[in-house]
Amino acid sequence: MTTRNAFAAALLAALFCSIFLLLPQRDALGRPLPLSFLLGGAFGVVLQRGRFCFWCNWRDLLEGRGSNGVAAILIALMVGSLGYAAIYGAWLPNPSSGRLPPDAHIGPASLTLALGAAAFGLGMALSGSCISAHLYRLGEGSAGSVISLAGALLGFGLGFVSWNTLYLWDVQSSRPVWFPASIGHGGWLAVQLAALAALLSWAMRGWQSAPAASPWEAVFRRRWPAPVSGILTGLIATIAYLRVGPLGVTAELGSIARTTGTWAGLLPEGLMGLDGLAGCATVVKEAILSRNGVFVAGLVLASFASARLAGDWAPTLPPRAAIPRLLIGGVLMGWGAMVGLGCTVGVILSGTMAGSLSGPIFAAACIAGATGGWLVMRRL
Amino acid sequence: MIRILLTSAATALTLSHAALASDGPLVTAEWLEQNLDAEGISVIEVSVNPGVYERGHIPGATNVVWHTDLVDPVRRDIASGERIQELLRAAGVNEDTTVILYGDTNNWFAAWGAWVLDVYGVQNVKLLDGGRKLWEAEGRALDTAAPAHPEGAITVADADATKRAFIADVVAASEGGSADIIDIRSADEFSGKIIAPEGFKETAIRAGHVTGAINVPWGQAVQEDGRFKSPEALKALYAEAGVDGSRPIITYCRIGERSSHTWFALSKILGYDVRNYDGSWTEYGNAVGVPVTNVAGLVWTGQ
Repeated sequence: MTTRNAFAAALLAALFCSIFLLLPQRDALGRPLPLSFLLGGAFGVVLQRGRFCFWCNWRDLLEGRGSNGVAAILIALMVGSLGYAAIYGAWLPNPSSGRLPPDAHIGPASLTLALGAAAFGLGMALSGSCISAHLYRLGEGSAGSVISLAGALLGFGLGFVSWNTLYLWDVQSSRPVWFPASIGHGGWLAVQLAALAALLSWAMRGWQSAPAASPWEAVFRRRWPAPVSGILTGLIATIAYLRVGPLGVTAELGSIARTTGTWAGLLPEGLMGLDGLAGCATVVKEAILSRNGVFVAGLVLASFASARLAGDWAPTLPPRAAIPRLLIGGVLMGWGAMVGLGCTVGVILSGTMAGSLSGPIFAAACIAGATGGWLVMRRL
Repeated sequence: MIRILLTSAATALTLSHAALASDGPLVTAEWLEQNLDAEGISVIEVSVNPGVYERGHIPGATNVVWHTDLVDPVRRDIASGERIQELLRAAGVNEDTTVILYGDTNNWFAAWGAWVLDVYGVQNVKLLDGGRKLWEAEGRALDTAAPAHPEGAITVADADATKRAFIADVVAASEGGSADIIDIRSADEFSGKIIAPEGFKETAIRAGHVTGAINVPWGQAVQEDGRFKSPEALKALYAEAGVDGSRPIITYCRIGERSSHTWFALSKILGYDVRNYDGSWTEYGNAVGVPVTNVAGLVWTGQ
C-alpha cells in the first residue's frame, strides 16, 4: 500500500467519523440517522471488498469465470432470511393475523414488477453494473458510473410519468404475497432455506478457490471470499431492518428525481397509490437528510476509503463510444427500479429476505433481462 | 428481618404512590415505568407511523393500528364495538383494568383511542402524559418483542352517541348556539387562508370554519415537552377564548384525531361536557348548505 493511499484512506475515514458525529440523532419518523449512515458505510465496504456486484457476479457465471459471486448473493439471502425470521418471531408472532410486518419490502406481485425487473436487468447488462455497484464504483473513481447514475435519475422520471397508467392497468389489482402468512414463519423459513441451499449447491460447482494470501493481503487487498461478504451482507440487512428499515439504495435517488421533476412541473401531481406501497418508496423530499440519503452517502464514502486502502482507486473515463450505452443502461435501470419499487438490493435482497414473492419475481425477470442483454451484446 | 420490613414498607409506599398517581386521567412516564409490572394495568400504543411500535415500545405494551383497528376501513366511521372488544380482550383488558394509552405524533391517535373507548363506555382509560416522544426523550427502556397477554374478559357497551357530535349536531350548535364549538386547527386553516396544511391529500372544497366556532389550536394545550398544561392553565386558556364549561362543547379539526387531544383536555382533565366531531373539516368543508365563515376568503378553484 502506498503512503499516499493510506493517507487518503485515513482522511476519508476521518471525514466519515465527523459526519457520523455531526448527523442529527433522528429523522422525522424517529429512525436513527447516524446508524443508517454507519450501516451504509459497512455495506459500502462489503460491496467494495467483496465485489458484491449483481451483474458482474452473474456475468462471471455466464462466462465461466467462477460462481463465487453468485454464491455470495445466495449466502446473503440465507443469512438475511434467518435474521428476518428472528425479527418476525418477536414483532409478529402470529403471521396469519392479516397484518404484514411493518416496512418490510413486501410489494405487489405484479406484471409491472416483472417488466421493471427485466428492464433493470437489461440496463445493468448495458451499463456494466446495477445501481448499488455503480454507487460503490463511484468510490473507485469510475466516471462511467456517474453517467449511468444520471441516466437512472432520468429513468426514474420516466417511471413517474408512466406510473399512473401502469398502476390503473395492473398494480392496483395485484396483491402482495407474503409466504409466512400462508405457511407460517417456520414453514416459510424451511422452504426458503432449502430452495436457496439447492441453488447454492448448484452454484458451488463453479467455485474457484483463491490462492493463499497473507492475512493483511486477504483483508485489505484481495477480494473477500464469498461466505464473508455474504454473511456480512445478511447481517447488515438484519440490523438495518431491526433498527432503521430494510436495505435499499434507490429511495433517495427516486426522491431526488421526483422532487426535481415535481418542482419543474414535469411530473404528474399525484402518483396513484405509490405512497401506500411497500418498497423503496420515493417520496417528495421534505427534509434534506433522509435515512436512505445518509445510507447511500455512507456507502459511497466508505467504499471510497476502502478502495483507496486496497489500491483499487483508479479514476477512469469511459471511451466516448460507450457513453450512450452507459446512459441508456442507466435510464432502463431507473425506470425499472421506479416501477418495480426497488432494485437488486431493495427487492432481490430485502424482498426475498422478507419472505415476499416480489423478491423471486424480480430476481427471475432481472436475470432474464440481463442474460438477454448479454447475448445481444455478444453478437454486436 | 429488617430488610424484609424495609422492602415491604417500600412496596407499600410504591403501591400507595401508584394508586395516587393513577387517580387522574393522566399518568407520568416515571409512574408508568415503576408500575409496568403492576396487576390490572394494560398499556396500549396507538402510533400512526408504521414500524414505530415494532422497533421499540414500552415493555408489555400492545400494538393497535389506528388506520385499521380504530376506524372502520370501509365506511367512514369509528370501529365497531365488537372490533374494539376484540382488541381490548387481546390486550388482556378486563372490566377493572386500567388502560393506559400512548403513541407517536403528540399522542393524537392515542387520544382518538381514548375517545373511542369512551364512546364504548370503557372505564379507567388514561393517557401517558407526553406520549412516546417524552418517554424516548427521557431515555426510558423500550422493548421490541410483541407481548402475549392472557385473553381479557371485558365487554364493551353500545356506542354512546352523546359522546360524539355528528354534522347535524354541529349545524344545530352553529345556528342555535346550543354548544360552544372549538376548532383546534391552525389559525390559517381557521381563517380560510388555506384549506389544509401542505402535503395533506384528504381535503375539502371549502375553506374557513364552522360559523360561530372559536379557534384554539391544539398545541396551546400542551407544554414544550408535549405534556398537557396544568388544569388551571388549561381552564384559563379556554376561559380566555370564551369557553368555561357552563355549556356543552364540540371539538373538531381536519379528520378528528387532533380534536380528540383537545377533547381529552376538556372532558377528562377539566371535566366539561364535550363531544368530538370526528367528521371534522373533511366532512363539514365538503357538505352542502352548512353555515361556513371564511374570513380570508380563499376560493376553491379545483387546484
